[in-house]
Amino acid sequence: MNPIFRFALAVALAIPLTSRSQDMPLTQVLIEGEDWEVVAEGYGFTDGLCTDAEGNLYFSDVKDGTAVYKVDLEGKVSEFIQDAAGISGLQWGADGKLYACVARGRIVVSFDKDGKMTQLADEVRPNDLVVTHDGNLYFTMTPTSEIRRIDPEGKMTVVSSGDVTKPNGISLSPDQGTLAVSDHGGKFVWAFRIKKDGTLDAAQPYMPMRTPVADPEVAKGDGMATDIHGRWYVTTAMGLQMFDPTGRMGGVIAKPQDANLVSVCFAGPDHAWLYVGCGDKVYRRKTKTKGALFFQAPRATEKPPRD
Amino acid sequence: MRISTTRWGIAALVALLGLAGSAFSQDDYKPGPDAERKDGVPQGKVTQHIWESEIFPGTVRDYWVYVPAQYDGSKPAAVMVFFDGGGFVNEKGHSRVPIVFDNLIHAGEMPVTIGIFINPGVVPPDREGAEPRKNRSFEYDTLSDQNARFLLEEILPEVGKSYKLTENPDARATCGNSSGGIAAFTVAWERPDAFRKVVSHIGSFTNIRGGHVYEALIRKEDPKPLRVFLQDGENDLDNLHGNWPLANKQMAAALEFSGYDYKFVMGTGGHSARHGGAILPDTLRWLWRDWKELEL
Repeated sequence: MNPIFRFALAVALAIPLTSRSQDMPLTQVLIEGEDWEVVAEGYGFTDGLCTDAEGNLYFSDVKDGTAVYKVDLEGKVSEFIQDAAGISGLQWGADGKLYACVARGRIVVSFDKDGKMTQLADEVRPNDLVVTHDGNLYFTMTPTSEIRRIDPEGKMTVVSSGDVTKPNGISLSPDQGTLAVSDHGGKFVWAFRIKKDGTLDAAQPYMPMRTPVADPEVAKGDGMATDIHGRWYVTTAMGLQMFDPTGRMGGVIAKPQDANLVSVCFAGPDHAWLYVGCGDKVYRRKTKTKGALFFQAPRATEKPPRD
Repeated sequence: MRISTTRWGIAALVALLGLAGSAFSQDDYKPGPDAERKDGVPQGKVTQHIWESEIFPGTVRDYWVYVPAQYDGSKPAAVMVFFDGGGFVNEKGHSRVPIVFDNLIHAGEMPVTIGIFINPGVVPPDREGAEPRKNRSFEYDTLSDQNARFLLEEILPEVGKSYKLTENPDARATCGNSSGGIAAFTVAWERPDAFRKVVSHIGSFTNIRGGHVYEALIRKEDPKPLRVFLQDGENDLDNLHGNWPLANKQMAAALEFSGYDYKFVMGTGGHSARHGGAILPDTLRWLWRDWKELEL
């Protein structure tokens, strides 16, 4: 089929007044009786949560930490990479490397299997990142309103400037064709189209986040994750907000404690657990869904099961 | 920018016919005799187009233009815009607007009106294997003037290249179902200088993207010179965004309170286009009842 023809079908199919691809309450995600449980504690400011193919969790302590920490499937916490301080974002690439935003050092780096660090960019202000299956690394520069890309050859370019006030969290759709970036200084999660050449266009304030009554213009959008049904998750001042693939808010999951909720990922067995970094602790909670993993090949968005 | 393709249309039509057959609730509402072809009634022409928007960046969409047989270009025509237009323009669908327009215009019950039927946009994927980003909720549910500007700065000027469209806001109407219903209201609410007639069926005046506030806004703002028709059904949705029958009752009560020219019809259906479509001819008679006094 030619591209326009395929697109036409998609439009026609988008027309139903109700469908399983929108209007998704939290009951589709949360399990009655399940609550947040502490996974790791005693840190300064947990951040940078990410997972690998097995479901191990990795995180950083951007305030006091000196390492990348790992929580294995048995719940054992260890130092995975030592001498790694000030990290605010972590993601595994399809190449088996762990990529990191070193906020304090103002560099973007990768760690290979032996923990050897390679610097990919310096004199930057990286906050959080996502790595596509084909090896494009996108990271947010919160203070400069920029999104930058490091392509598979290592060349860095600015792919968005001024669209998002304070770009912070960053994630992909399951098909890896849409990039979403949360605004820490505004109230929207923005959507971008990723073009064949890795550049971005079609920027849109796609998801309106709930904001505190006392600060109605600033949601403090932070870390993001996506599930296999194309739902978006974003940590905010109000809690963990969930949006359906059409950008409609599905609900706000309460914070596990009254502290900064800044990072989220799906990890654990089957990647069916939501993990969050909230203040001094990492928490998790079992869900009915599974995380989208971007070091794996892009996949079609799965329709959620019928209620 | 205009692109033409016929294969597109066939695909969309096939998909729409499939959807028309799937009822979302039990009701007996059917299109009536005004939605049937009658001997001796001249038929308007419908053409299909594709639009790439700048106001909704990166989006592409279908739209159709209905031009009644009575339009001769000697004077401007009234304008009626339909959201989720593909469902309304379909002559076998829930509303069969081209047939209804033909019959009502022929009978002098509404003005010579150009119908513009617009589908919501999608952002087509660029990368191999990726899926389109659906823009319907963003365009229809958002409370802003963006969709009005899309009509006024993109679609009407484009259609206006081929046909004379009236500048009189009292002769320009919007219509839609569900999120398209609140979209129809939002366009007129934001730009009463440009659109003053609204038809909303099963309108989503709920908190999808903040639309639940309209009933409150209506009560405390200077009444706008709008004529509003609302339809809903007692078995409409009650979900995470709100309760549709209650929301529509609140809208009707607010319009009543503030002295609007409005009409509210509550049926027994669910979140379905069938009731609104079945009564559309009478709705249009009410909406355009004094059209002969309008200067087009």
